Formats: sequence, structure tokens, C-alpha cells
Amino acid sequence: MGRRRIGSAASLANLLVVALVATACAAPAPSGSAPSGSAASAATKPRGGTLVVAAGSDPGQLNPAITTAGGTHFVADNLYNGLVFLDVNLEPKPDLADSWTVSPDAKTYTFNLHKGVKWHDGIAFTSADVKFTFEQVLLKYHSRTKSGLESVLAGIDTPDDNTVVFRFKQPYGPLLQRVDVVEAPIVAKHIYEGQDPTKADANLKPVGTGPFKLASYVKGDTIKMVRNPDYFKPGLPYLDELIFKVIPQASTQILSLERGEVDYVSGIPGPDLSRLQANKDLTITKSGAGSGGSFCVTTLIYNLLRQPIDKVEVRQALAYTIDRQQILDQVSFGQGKVAISPISSSIAWAHNPNVTKYPLDPAKANALLDSAGLKKDANGVRFKLNFVHATSFAKIGELMKQSLAPIGIDLVLTPLEVNAANDRTFVAKDFDIGSASYCNGPDPEIGVRRMFVSTNIGPILFSNGASYKNARVDTLFDQAAAGATKADRAKSYFEIQDIVTKDIPTWGLVESEGYRVFAKKYSDLYYWSGNLAEATSLAR
Amino acid sequence: MTRYVLRRLLQAVPLLLGVLVLTFALVHLAPGDPVRILGGDGGDAAYYAAMREKFGLDRPLPEQLVIYLGSALHGDFGYSYVQRRPVFEVIADRVPATLVLMLSALVISTGLGIWLGAIAARRAERAADRAITVGTLVGGATPAFWLGQVLVIVFAGILGWFPVSGMTAARGVTPGFAQLADLLWHLVLPVTTLGLLQLALVTRLTRAGLIDALREEYARTAQAKGLSTAAVLRRHALPNALLPVVTVIGSHFGTVLAGAVLTEIIFAWPGIGRLLVDATLTRDYPLLMALFLVASTSVVIANLVTDLAYGALDPRVRLQ
Repeated sequence: MGRRRIGSAASLANLLVVALVATACAAPAPSGSAPSGSAASAATKPRGGTLVVAAGSDPGQLNPAITTAGGTHFVADNLYNGLVFLDVNLEPKPDLADSWTVSPDAKTYTFNLHKGVKWHDGIAFTSADVKFTFEQVLLKYHSRTKSGLESVLAGIDTPDDNTVVFRFKQPYGPLLQRVDVVEAPIVAKHIYEGQDPTKADANLKPVGTGPFKLASYVKGDTIKMVRNPDYFKPGLPYLDELIFKVIPQASTQILSLERGEVDYVSGIPGPDLSRLQANKDLTITKSGAGSGGSFCVTTLIYNLLRQPIDKVEVRQALAYTIDRQQILDQVSFGQGKVAISPISSSIAWAHNPNVTKYPLDPAKANALLDSAGLKKDANGVRFKLNFVHATSFAKIGELMKQSLAPIGIDLVLTPLEVNAANDRTFVAKDFDIGSASYCNGPDPEIGVRRMFVSTNIGPILFSNGASYKNARVDTLFDQAAAGATKADRAKSYFEIQDIVTKDIPTWGLVESEGYRVFAKKYSDLYYWSGNLAEATSLAR
Repeated sequence: MTRYVLRRLLQAVPLLLGVLVLTFALVHLAPGDPVRILGGDGGDAAYYAAMREKFGLDRPLPEQLVIYLGSALHGDFGYSYVQRRPVFEVIADRVPATLVLMLSALVISTGLGIWLGAIAARRAERAADRAITVGTLVGGATPAFWLGQVLVIVFAGILGWFPVSGMTAARGVTPGFAQLADLLWHLVLPVTTLGLLQLALVTRLTRAGLIDALREEYARTAQAKGLSTAAVLRRHALPNALLPVVTVIGSHFGTVLAGAVLTEIIFAWPGIGRLLVDATLTRDYPLLMALFLVASTSVVIANLVTDLAYGALDPRVRLQ
């Protein structure tokens, strides 16, 4: 036996350390907000060309119906369609459905499907595919669609090949906002029938109806798609190729864009913004919408099960003291706006701008805390609060700590890897102040209801983390969902916002607004939609 | 010899089993729940319960471990939660990229390191030696995560000589020679990042070994016979000086693998290192476990190969 070394143990230890370090590097909070840009007139757009898109993560597999993972949808949605397409204002427009009717009681939706749509393998698309997709795939594996529709849906009928009827047990207002390609991509019955859709081979050899077909997928590196020549929308798409390049680091994405290796990046780190704005070859648009989550509000969650944060005076004092403009300027680099209510101002019809406001006023905050009997000790400290947050919220925590010290609140910062922070906030409920980026989604029913209704108090991520219980708010959310018109629904949402900005179970800091940036030579990127490049072309 | 190899491999079995149990405990006890991460921000309790049952996560942890080890003994290491494919299929897709990166870095750093070490030893205590010594000290002390970023900023960002990231260009590459050239072009910065530490080690070991060897009597005898310094170095001193180098290369396999993880993150290199990070972030337990198993097995094998090579190079070493 030769001389031996102690290499292997040390090597394994190294690997473990790397894995642990990786756990500590949390993913950044999702960003986005405020629609702009639009589908331009199409008549004479040039054909051909390749668009290379930077993807933040490998999609893993390419069936968007079995997951809500943003990384999968960002890529795979381009191979599929929904019943409707949501335009830049998230208004439903025809996609697989040419038209639809809603019964006056909002309990029956009838979709008339586009005739002559073919799957990528040439087989005809029919209403049976829609029924199959909802019943066997979406309502089982797409978490948002399952939780949103399963309990209210009475059944799906297919009177003929081109008609689908959704019947509800009760009036249901927001259906059209949740049947686009992100919330409800339609997959082929003949491909998935009789197998477990989560393990089907077709998830790596997707057969969709979408504007592009898969050409190749090099795991972790590149996903190449080519134009679907038989696409049912006449003339579309214009591009020959759509390529996704997997580049996890935001800074690397930007560098690749500046070097022309990629053409589109769906987020800009704050410090890079001014440099990119000066680059004449790039177009920058602001948007709060995107296939990963739309209209997100960076939010503090107050644990109402804990003292003294359960006192409304304490929460009001925090509202009077935390400088949200400073957070917007220094942490978000001005990308977004100070939040007014939990419903994003981008969902204009539901957003109530006239709620209780709390202008910066530390003196008032001090008075409120005094009146609540929370006196300062010899060191000027009234009490400690533990702020549990993902590392992406660390700078916010530091600014809050500075602001709160003068009014006698000692903010204890507990930064954690994002999954650990979410676990502690929504499952273990071991926090005084938590944090999350709550995305509204295309409708408050999808993304706002879950924050406040008493039936959704954990242990679910991004649920009612505050453990807030208010019977009136519960009733109003039910009324809002059942409202047949937007005006009806808005009335309920306005009252909800009025109540929760007084009770303050959560406190919106910033409506985040992501910047999308792409090479100027391209026009008409549907950056808010799953079908990113359906109408994209090289500029004339 | 064969018995020795077999015995070593058998000895590795309890070690690997230990690694499995340890990593099982580690990944399951860490906060974060794969089902919640998979379900994202929109599931309800029924959804999470159904997924938990589907993955067997509703059972007590010891039972999960027994089930896992039982299946593993039958060669079934489970499905990736995220990619929904057998874990080894997922890993196999990524192994070539990591191998290309690691082997390139190992071969180049070893070759270059021996050459530089030899130059330094021949010109010991002179300018070339000093330059190489200082260079290796700095190179050996430079952390890969920092070096990689700097290389990207300077050589890809500012000078534009090399691509920013990835293993292939997204467009405009035709199959054949252009494809190979494209790969090599993409390899330069990551290999530099990963190989520099190894290069420094090999250079310094070679230098030290050669200087020692050149002082030995057999080297002086060879010189007295009239052999040139270069010939003495090549034929007599180098084989002896290289023994510790072989050891270092073999025993640092795990370190290089760990370095590859960092390098792959910096350069968006599509190998198993990045897969490991993704699996950690998504708490993809079966994939994580399999990755640790692959990594530890490869370290065990690398050590075995090192010992065999050592035996072959040094007749005094007998493997029993």
C-alpha cells in the first residue's frame, strides 16, 4: 500500500460547502409593472430572422400545463396557445377561441373555437382537447388553475368540435383572465391521453398549436424553435427562429445583450439601467406584466398572532415611519412606484386610489406608540421586531432599521435564503414582520384574494401570511368573484382596499416595474404575454 | 492488483452509503419544501397534499429514507421533481459539459504547470523563477468566483475577444469544424478560471520536486557523465518530481469538481455544477441525492486511479 492522503474527505466537504453556499444565494424577487407598447399594424412587416432570448433558468421540461414555474412558461408558452390572448392591458382577445359569450348570471361561458387549427403533428385541434386539458391536466397539476377553478366549476361540455361550454356552480367573473396561455395552455389529448402527464415523453417533445415548433433542446444551454408554417393566425409568425439561451445571472444577461449575443432580456438590474438607456441600439420598455407573474407589489406582512404587532397602532406607526420613496429610489433604482393599496394601480378598474394614506410623520408614530402604552426604556427602545426576509430584501431591511430606530423600534434583521424565508413566514409563522413580492396576476381574484381571506391562512406560500381575519373582507371577495360586470366587481374591491389600508395586515412598499430591453432592430415583442414572439419581426 | 481494486471498491460501498444517508438528512432537514416551491405562489392545500402524496413526502422521514435506499439498491434513484424524468437521465444530459470543462482545465493546467515548474527549477532564484513563483502565489490565492467575473468583464465585456457565457453561440454556427472552433472559443475563459488554482499548485510542486531532485547524487552523477542540464531534468529528475504532482491532481479531483460548480455558475456553463445549484434552490431531493452520489463516486474513483497510477510510477510502492 502506498502513501495515503486525506483527499477524498476534504473534497466531499468542499462539495457540500458549495451546495450550502448555493442555498444561501437567493433568487431575486420577481419584478414587473405598467403596460406599454402594443401590437403594431402588421401589413408589410419583413419575414425571416432569428430572435435570441435570454432565459433566467432552464425550463426543465416543456409542458406548461403541468406547472406554474415561470422558467418553464417563459419558454414553453411559445409552443402553445390559450383560449384567449391577453393584450398589453390584459384584456382578453381571440386566441384558440374566436369569440365567446357569457350568460347574464355569469354562470355559463361559451367559447367558439377557431376552425382549422392543427397541432404541430398535423392532427386537427378540437373542443375535446380543451375539455381533456382542463379535466386531466390543468385541474390536477396547474396549481393556480386548480385552486381557482376546481371548487367553482360544475362541468365542461363540448356540444360540437368547435364549441366549449364552461358551467359554474355560482356566478364567476374572472374566467376570461385565467384562460390565456400562461394560466391555461391547451395541450393535445391524442398526445397525453392514457398517461401521467407529468412524466410523459411528450414533455420533452412538445406538440402544441403555437406559433413556433421545437427544433432542439440542449439542457441547460439552448432551446431552439422554428416557425410553425401552418400556424392558424394568417401570416404569423414572422421570425424563422426563436432561440432561448439559458443565462442565470442578470449581469451576464445584460453583458450578452450589449455584445449582441442575445437580443432580448426581460429584466434590468438597477445599476445597469442608465448605461443601457444611453445605448442607441436598444429599446427599453417598462412593464409590470410577464409570464412569470404580473403586477407584483413588494409587501411587508405583519404577523397578527404576535404581540405587539397585533396592535393596529403599531402597524400605523410603522406606516408613518417607513420611507417608501427612499426604498423605491435606493433599492428599486426608481423602477416602479410607491404602493397605494394591495391592488396594483396597473389593474386600473379595480384599484382604489382614495384609501387611507400615511404620510411620513415620525412624531405621529411616536404619539401612537405612546398612546398604546408602549413606552421607551432607558436606551430609547420600546420593543424589538424580528424582520424575516429573503436576502433579496436585505437592503430594504437595512433602510427600515434606520428609519425605525428613532421611534424606539429595534428591528432585528433575519435574512434567509428565499425558500427558507418563505417557509418561516407562511408555514412556521415564526416572524413579526415578513416579506413577499405578491403578484396580483391579471385579476385581483387570482393574486389578491389569497392575501386576505381567512380561509387561506397557511401553510401555503404567498397565502394570508398575516393570519388576517375579517368576515366583511371575506364576503366582499366572494361578491367580487361573483360579480358579472367589472363595475360590480370593482365596488367590492374598492371597499376591500378601504378596509385593509385601515387594518394594515400587510403593507405594500413598492409596485415593482420591470424593464424589458431588446435590440432595436426588432419590433412587436409581446413581452407581457406567454406568446412572446408571435408577431415579432425585424424592423422595416 | 485486481484484488486490491476490488477491495478498494468494496470499501467505498459503506462510504457511499454514508454519503447517501448524510445528504438525505441534510437536504430533508434544510428549510424549504419542494412541493411548495413546485406549486409556486398559487396552489391550495388540496394541491399540496396531492403532490406530497404523489412524491411520497407525506410519509415519516425514516420511512422515506428506507424506501429511498431500498429503491436505490435496485438501481431506481427516482424522478426529478422539477424535470419529471429519471434522475440519471437528467444528470447524463449534463455530464459531457462538465467533463469537457474539467478535463480541459486539468490537462492544460497540468501540462502548463509542469513546463513552468521546470523552467523555474532550471533558473532557480533567477528572474524567471521569481516571476513564476510570484505569479503562482497570486494565481493560487485568487478565488475562482472573483477571477471569473473579472475575466468576463475584461475579455468578454470590454475587449470582446471571447463570448460572455454559455458553451455554444446561439446562432450562426454550422455543424463541423465551425462547431468545434465555437466550443473552444467558449472554453477559454472558463478553463482559465477553473485551471488557474490547479496550475499554481502543479507549478510549485514541480518546481520544488525538481530542485530537490537536482540536488540528489544521481542527478549530479548524470551531470558529471556529461549529460546536459535539460536532459538530466527530463530523464532523471522529472519522473521523481512528478510523483507528488500525480497525488495532487488525483486528490484535488473533488476540489476541481467544486470549482467547476462555481465556474459553471459564472459562465452559465450547462454542466452538473449548475444542475446542482438549481436542484438545491428547488429542493429537488431525488436529483440532489443522485448528484451527491455521482460526485462522491467520482471522487472515490479518482482517488483509486491516483493510487494505481502512483503504484505504476513508483516501483517502491506496492499495492496489496
